Amino acid sequence: MSDTISADIADKTGVAPAAKTTRHQASTRKASAIELRGLHKRFGRDTVALDGVDLTIQAGEFFTLLGPSGCGKTTLLRILAGLEEPDQGTLVVGGKELTEVPPHQRSVNTVFQSYALFPHLSVRDNLAFGLKMRGLPAEKRDAKVDEIAAFIKLGDLVDRRVDQLSGGQRQRIALARALVCEPDVLLLDEPLSALDAGLRAQLQVELQRLQKRLGMTFVFVTHDQDEAMVMSDRIAVLDGGNIQQVGAPNDVYERPANAFVARFMGHDNLFAIHHSEGDWVETEIGRLRLMPGEQRDDADGWLLVRPETLELGPEVPEGYNRMTGIVRERLYRGSRIEYRLEVNECMVMAVASNLGQRIHHEGDEVTISVCPEDLVRVAA
Amino acid sequence: MNKRVLRRGLTGFWWLTLVFLYLPLAVVVLFSFNAANSSASFAGFSLRWYQRLLGNEQILSAFANSMVLAIVSSVIALVIGCLIGYGMYRHRHRKLGWLIVLIYLPIVLPDIVFGISEMAFFVQIHEATGLLKPGLGTMIIAHVTFQIPFVALIVYSRFVGLDPTLFEAAKDLYATPFKRVLHFMLPTIKPALISAFFLSFTLSIDDFVISFFTAGPESATLPIYIWGAIKKGVSPEINAIASLMIGAVVVAAILSLFFSRRRRA
Amino acid sequence: MAEISQHAMRRRAVVGEMRHLLFSVTPGAAWIVIFLVLPSAYLMGVAFMTNGPYGLPEMPLTLDAFERLAGFGFLGWSPGNLYTLLRSLWQTLLSTTLVVLVAYPIAYYITTCRERWRPIMLLAVVVPSWTNQVIRTFGWMNLLAPGTPISELAEGLGLIAPNMGLYPSNFAVTLGLVYNFLPFMVLPLYAAFEKLDTAQVEAAQDLYASPVRAFWHAVFPQTLPGLLAGIVLVAIPAFGMYVIPELLGGGKGMMLGNLVATQFSGGSNWPLGAAGAILMLIATFIGLFAMRRIGKRLGGGEEVVI
Repeated sequence: MSDTISADIADKTGVAPAAKTTRHQASTRKASAIELRGLHKRFGRDTVALDGVDLTIQAGEFFTLLGPSGCGKTTLLRILAGLEEPDQGTLVVGGKELTEVPPHQRSVNTVFQSYALFPHLSVRDNLAFGLKMRGLPAEKRDAKVDEIAAFIKLGDLVDRRVDQLSGGQRQRIALARALVCEPDVLLLDEPLSALDAGLRAQLQVELQRLQKRLGMTFVFVTHDQDEAMVMSDRIAVLDGGNIQQVGAPNDVYERPANAFVARFMGHDNLFAIHHSEGDWVETEIGRLRLMPGEQRDDADGWLLVRPETLELGPEVPEGYNRMTGIVRERLYRGSRIEYRLEVNECMVMAVASNLGQRIHHEGDEVTISVCPEDLVRVAA
Repeated sequence: MNKRVLRRGLTGFWWLTLVFLYLPLAVVVLFSFNAANSSASFAGFSLRWYQRLLGNEQILSAFANSMVLAIVSSVIALVIGCLIGYGMYRHRHRKLGWLIVLIYLPIVLPDIVFGISEMAFFVQIHEATGLLKPGLGTMIIAHVTFQIPFVALIVYSRFVGLDPTLFEAAKDLYATPFKRVLHFMLPTIKPALISAFFLSFTLSIDDFVISFFTAGPESATLPIYIWGAIKKGVSPEINAIASLMIGAVVVAAILSLFFSRRRRA
Repeated sequence: MAEISQHAMRRRAVVGEMRHLLFSVTPGAAWIVIFLVLPSAYLMGVAFMTNGPYGLPEMPLTLDAFERLAGFGFLGWSPGNLYTLLRSLWQTLLSTTLVVLVAYPIAYYITTCRERWRPIMLLAVVVPSWTNQVIRTFGWMNLLAPGTPISELAEGLGLIAPNMGLYPSNFAVTLGLVYNFLPFMVLPLYAAFEKLDTAQVEAAQDLYASPVRAFWHAVFPQTLPGLLAGIVLVAIPAFGMYVIPELLGGGKGMMLGNLVATQFSGGSNWPLGAAGAILMLIATFIGLFAMRRIGKRLGGGEEVVI
């Protein structure tokens, strides 16, 4: 299994002539932009799944909907697929209004979390299903199936029965089954969540390359922020049926719009701001200077201090903020070392690259310095 | 030591039970080849009772009635039961208690109550309107009534065993509602439909009590004919026709074993 | 405005769903209602009507049929019907007990055999029940008739009078019932044994000195849901049995089913027969209800309801 994948990944320069031709055809496909306006969706009386979502997804973009379970990301994807109708709002794909168009009339295909391969059909018939339903004659179907099988490097999987496939193989077949229909938009509903970590990492890279090669619009749903950052052009973070932030992975990670996004992106070092004055803020861990752009007069909000921006050591560079802390815990991670420091009765995480610098011990008092540029104010 | 004794005892008990289970059937088959007209002593091998069968028009018409009844009722029950099974699946999140009660009713109702209720009802309807004259028609109605629940439950459990996203995948892959039924649902539940049909067929062939009370004078099935012959006084022809029916069951058993083996392989 | 369109959309979806429900479920539900619920309701009504001159029910409404069922007739009280009722109860109890006693070791034995043999063994137990009930019973008539080896053996042991044969008799009915219902008990018990948690059994063997106590504390409770399911499957149809007592029982082996059937064929007293049918229905629903309650308490409720 993993052999065929790595072969596919290694195939960047296009060794096989068959793959070359398919790539050419693939790149001529027209990608579609998606416009979502004022989407509301409620289940039952009290469960609000979407609470007024406005979103624009560019043509040819790898776009990820990220959020915890129950945030509305899956509902949003299902509305795109047509499997759910919004209570209010409109959906436009490639300039066409699709809000009330049933799923079988939309040029949108989905890779389902459970893969949803038809158990009564062979792999080949699974791949041909969508084309058959669209009324494509048998010879053309066969040609297209062979083409996609070569493109995704399915090899001899095409002749197997569905119940003979492993999880990773099923995932690839589900992907191929959706791609062979050449949809305007491909939707992926946590397609990697059922796979083990190693295979998942491989497929993340593979999927991203595939999308770039096809130039197709991909909308990907996940609850894993690492996965989202590795693969996406842009990410929308959702919570409680609302979009919290939309941006490129580095935007969302480095400049989270609010505390929820910050926490969800894995940030622990968030400290309450008590008072701000000019470039200076009074926080739980002391008085710190920010860059002039960060200054705001309102007091509420949080200060985000990313652990990798803290420097430990006696020297404090010019213009840096300086704090003192006591090492309470140290985790050795090989390439880096994580410290939990007590500063002003607050716990502060710091990460130092393991460059043979002095290793601090539990109970040591250390000087902490941080550049004002790396301090980010986050709304509540 | 103790365990070995227990195990031997159990093995002995098993074989004894098998003798108990097959002795009555074996006796029927044995005496169907009896040259003498006796059920107490075997007087030599003969096929005369089987030859007599072929000339017995009552038996032949009873056989035809049994087959027509089983096939027609199974087909009707398959269509109706399949619909209800799908309805139960599709709306399983609703409170369908009344439907469940309705579906289990034919299963839990004692045969005799089932049979006489329908008979009394049919007789009254017939007197009032002239419809539902006792005969094959009323028997088919009665058989369909007890077959529907089995078909519905088999189809329902097949649907429940499926990944629910398959239905969405079919929609997503451009299948119209009609094509979803034709290319996805029916092929997917085909094994369930086949086994539901065979179960319905077997239930129909096996039934005596309900058939007996809903039958008309012209529509005797094989079990009804056999019953009548037994009541009148045993004739060895009964052994012969009964042996043929036992033979059919044994063939069915071997086939089912063969198919279940092959499916696992 | 938005509220209105939202309502309209949702109402349209609900209407669509309801139409689908009606379309799929109505044919079957209507069939069962028209051809089983209505007839049963009619039968229950008949029980409260007067017996007409040709055995057909007439007005006015009366409780005569129930009095007749309890034994009160033109000639005063007679115990005949009461005996029939008690006999039905006794035969049900006796045959169910015997079926349990035979099926329990058989089901256990099958689970101890090699896995590839088990389906064949189960099939061997079930196949006789696939043959027609009348034929199976006819087989026992052949076996138990006067002059057969089994009857002569019983005669030699002094169990029966000479030249009588073992059938017709209550004994023959019991035998027929046990024979008929054995597979219905073996299957659920086998399922229970197959799921048996052997770790618990081993722990029990460690904890309790005697194998009897180990069985009672570790094995028996685990097989109880299967046992209950089997009892429902055996006792309810046994109580309403018609064919077996009719063929093997003779006049003194009659059960409730025969009493009811006679009123609709030969005897022709529909109201009396209907009253008997109501009794049978009540027994059935009490049985089902009791098993459900016990089953729920044991946590095996789903299986008990089949």
